[in-house]
Amino acid sequence: MTATTTLTAPSAPVRPRARRSPAPAARRRAALHWIAVHTVALAAALFFLLPFVFVFLTAVMSDSQAMSGDLWPTEWHWSNYADVFRTPGFLDWWRNSLMYAVLGTLFTLCSSIPVAYALAKFRFRGRRTAMLLVISTMMLPPQVIVVPMYLVWAQQFHLSGSLWPLIIPMAFGDAYSIFLLRQFLLTIPREYLESARVDGCGELRTLLRIIIPMAKPGIAAVALFQFFYCWNDYFGPQIYAAQNPGAWTLSYGLESFKSAHSVNWNLTMAATLLVMAPVIIVFFFAQKAFVEGVTLTGVKG
Amino acid sequence: MATVTNNPALRRKAVRARLRTLGFLSPWLVGFTVFFGYPLVATVYFSFMHYNQIETPTFVGLRNWRYVFEQMPLFGPALWNTLWLVVVMVALRVVFGLGIGLLVTKVKAGVGFFRTAFYLPYLAPPVAATVAFVFLLNPGTGPVNDILGKIGISAPNWFNDPAWAKPSLVLLSLWGIGDLMVIFMAALLDVPKDQYEAAELDGAGALHKFRYVTWPSITPIVMFAVVTGVVQTMQYYTQALVAGKLASGVSIGPGSVIQPGYPDHSTLTVPQLVYSLGFQNFNTGAACVLSLVLFAIAMAVTTLLMRRRAGLLSAED
Amino acid sequence: MPPRLAVLASVLGAGALLLSGCANPSTGSATDDPAKPVTLKFWHGWSEKNEVKAIDASIARFEKLHPNIKVKVTGNVTDATLNQALRAGGGDAPDVASSFTTNNVGQYCSSGMWADLDPFMKKTGLDKNKVFPKTLLDYTSYDGDQCALPLLADAYGMYYNKDAFREAGISRPPRTMSELKRDAVKLTKRTKSGGYERVGFMPNFRLYQNSPDRFFAQWGPTYFDKGGKARLAKDKATKEFFATTRDLAKSQGGYGPLEKFRTSFGDEMSSQNAFLTGKLAIHMDGEWRGLFMKGAKFRWGTAPLPVPDDQPETYGRGYLTGTVIGIGHSSTHQNAAWELVKFLSADTDQVVSFANAIHNVPSTKAALTSPKLDPDPTFRAFLDIAQNRYSTALPASINGGQYVVSLQDFSYGVEEGKEPDLDKGLKELDKEIDADNLQARN
Repeated sequence: MTATTTLTAPSAPVRPRARRSPAPAARRRAALHWIAVHTVALAAALFFLLPFVFVFLTAVMSDSQAMSGDLWPTEWHWSNYADVFRTPGFLDWWRNSLMYAVLGTLFTLCSSIPVAYALAKFRFRGRRTAMLLVISTMMLPPQVIVVPMYLVWAQQFHLSGSLWPLIIPMAFGDAYSIFLLRQFLLTIPREYLESARVDGCGELRTLLRIIIPMAKPGIAAVALFQFFYCWNDYFGPQIYAAQNPGAWTLSYGLESFKSAHSVNWNLTMAATLLVMAPVIIVFFFAQKAFVEGVTLTGVKG
Repeated sequence: MATVTNNPALRRKAVRARLRTLGFLSPWLVGFTVFFGYPLVATVYFSFMHYNQIETPTFVGLRNWRYVFEQMPLFGPALWNTLWLVVVMVALRVVFGLGIGLLVTKVKAGVGFFRTAFYLPYLAPPVAATVAFVFLLNPGTGPVNDILGKIGISAPNWFNDPAWAKPSLVLLSLWGIGDLMVIFMAALLDVPKDQYEAAELDGAGALHKFRYVTWPSITPIVMFAVVTGVVQTMQYYTQALVAGKLASGVSIGPGSVIQPGYPDHSTLTVPQLVYSLGFQNFNTGAACVLSLVLFAIAMAVTTLLMRRRAGLLSAED
Repeated sequence: MPPRLAVLASVLGAGALLLSGCANPSTGSATDDPAKPVTLKFWHGWSEKNEVKAIDASIARFEKLHPNIKVKVTGNVTDATLNQALRAGGGDAPDVASSFTTNNVGQYCSSGMWADLDPFMKKTGLDKNKVFPKTLLDYTSYDGDQCALPLLADAYGMYYNKDAFREAGISRPPRTMSELKRDAVKLTKRTKSGGYERVGFMPNFRLYQNSPDRFFAQWGPTYFDKGGKARLAKDKATKEFFATTRDLAKSQGGYGPLEKFRTSFGDEMSSQNAFLTGKLAIHMDGEWRGLFMKGAKFRWGTAPLPVPDDQPETYGRGYLTGTVIGIGHSSTHQNAAWELVKFLSADTDQVVSFANAIHNVPSTKAALTSPKLDPDPTFRAFLDIAQNRYSTALPASINGGQYVVSLQDFSYGVEEGKEPDLDKGLKELDKEIDADNLQARN
């Protein structure tokens, strides 16, 4: 090659060589690649989906067959699901889980949005410290503070045996939600705030009228996260609600389902499915919010 | 650095701004003090007291501390298990998550189906997922061992074998890889395409492309996954406890006690021990000692990871 | 910086405020008039349908006798729940509670969580030594404080599959440990793939009721010396016990395969119970099991468990425990509560009918000799065990029977083969038990 050709090489994006149709060898390699990728993907899909299938199949087996290790039910006992609903307490667990999740999410949003807004948009001394404190609270295992907190709730306020010790603190901000909301609010350009201020809006009005409508995707994502945090919470109800079966949540009740009601694996699997189903159903309706939430969790690093 | 101003109007405005900030931050400030600051102080207080939650607490000096560190046989296993899980589970999750994320970006036919299938298990509530896995991996009646037996593989006892209990928990956590998959997928798709093309033109193979193009671009996300993974695994509680209880098959009946960390303390984590000491033995003092140990470890790990700038603080500050 | 100082100050202030008030749970009173209208809260641990029906019937009988007292009953209450609720105090804590865990009595008494019942007995003229058998009074009191009374007792014995015995050519239930091993081997049937169709006698400590302390009772061990220190290493019965159980496991295929088979068993109280479905030929259980044998497809019988070869005269003994009932310390209606406790635990007709209904051993001397008791011989066998002079209950403990948990833990290790030096292991176990007991004191 002559010197002139090499000098112009770096900037040329299109070369005739790239446009020619690939040789048969390359095409075969591409086909093998396609097969390999999709075979692995299928195997992975089996790994992820088969457990659901087995749980479902076992849930409709008879008592004795569930103990036998058979894979396919010989009789289909759809009544197992009805039996689970009839188990004393199951509906209570539903109600309690729902109440905990709904109230918890509401309280969290009301308290965390102002805090996140302040941390994102206000300039004040100690902002860095506050952010550090929020993050350090996120890193804290709940078991570190649970013993004295339990003593206060149980002995001072006599609220043990209920879910209130879990719900009330959410009215004072949740570190994870604050963090996520702040990340999201940071992306709202300053211009909107400036124009609101120029129009004479106070900070509260700005927050309510301008920021919140703009932050709807982020708020939806945080709400979803918090909802499922409460729905899935096991440790909290175990500490505070265990002593009162009327206050048990689905997560806690499911764990003791097998032995507390002397049932076998078939009913336990039916109950498990009934606990998994709501989350999956909500997911299919709210996929966008889920995806938004994941993007929020720091892809921007 | 006080704002030097003689203008009373400006000063009033500054005070108003300060008050407004405090106002917006107030829920969190109260929460932080009452639900974080106070319990921490109280935990230290109780670690020096003997208190069974009925009679008034009595001061016993270092007795609880000596008990936990010298006389409690479960302390060592709990520490070891937590450490093991933090190292193994986080590492495997990140690697597997990256792998699945890569796989999803390469799939052409049925991307939507595969993505949903891979993500679904993550949605299962932890207790439900654990109950399902304990059943599936039951050595006597579970489908997994049944199938493996038919193929001729002698399967381990999973949750009932001390050597396999923690790996079984790791397997459970890999099943729920959905959250990491989505994060890595987004990061992988973010890598600038022209860098790939440039590498290809230079004759780079797949491995080279990954090492020199993909990896530098996704490193922040990987670090983020590692940090959050470590934080979560240090608190690992629910799945280990539920798996141990269910797998042991010990029924809740007259006078029955559940061995913590079945089988053989292999699934006992430090958080579980705090619960057991504080809420089953009502040994408040020892529970608080253990809480402080957990707190110290969490703080140490956090500072270590934060020093390496894992990018949790946004750039705009 | 002012904000930081403010935070610090508020933390310390809140801390001081809360700490000062936190250590005084509500206390109850015994000055109420038991003839006035009142509602009592009664918590119990029964959850099976027929048991719940029986306790509800008993409460109904009580309410008829005391029309001014209404009783609000909560069932399926575990001991953990009860413990937490009583420690938290307040309006939600029960007035009267019953518990299956006799091990907790020491804790209930020494901490004052359950009220001392002696004053009430004196007030209403009940002589406890005349009414209750001594062993039962022993496990309901601690250090002179009688904070509980027995509410029916449990005796442990042997259930055996008569059809399986006939098939294996065994004429009568084994009476000594050697006979047990011999019979168990004969009764065990294995499958071609190395599993089991039936096990003669599974000694695995995690199986249903096989907690080591229960089978260990057949040796009549002494757990603590006069000073309250653990002496499991010194007592030769301990080593013999572990040797016997390990031998039993080995001769029927080994701990591993037995454990694997155990994990395939159905829930203890369900229709898939392993003894009920014929997977176990000989099984240790309490007298209540008889009620759950209705669906059995084979003929079955009961007998006392075997005794060590060198103690043949003690044959007929068994492990005793029971449900205990007491008054919560935070109750403000303790006199009315005492009426309920007295009725349930000491009224002969009540005790007899309740015992018959839930198939438990009656807990008063009069009830034990009552002609109205269920004459079923499989049930009578347990009454005899309960009245055998060699039968024992666990010694009281100040920390909720923590020593039993330690023993269980140790036993799991032994059966897995993890304790090569039994002597050393037992000495460490004693040390651990002593340390735990010391931790529980002020």
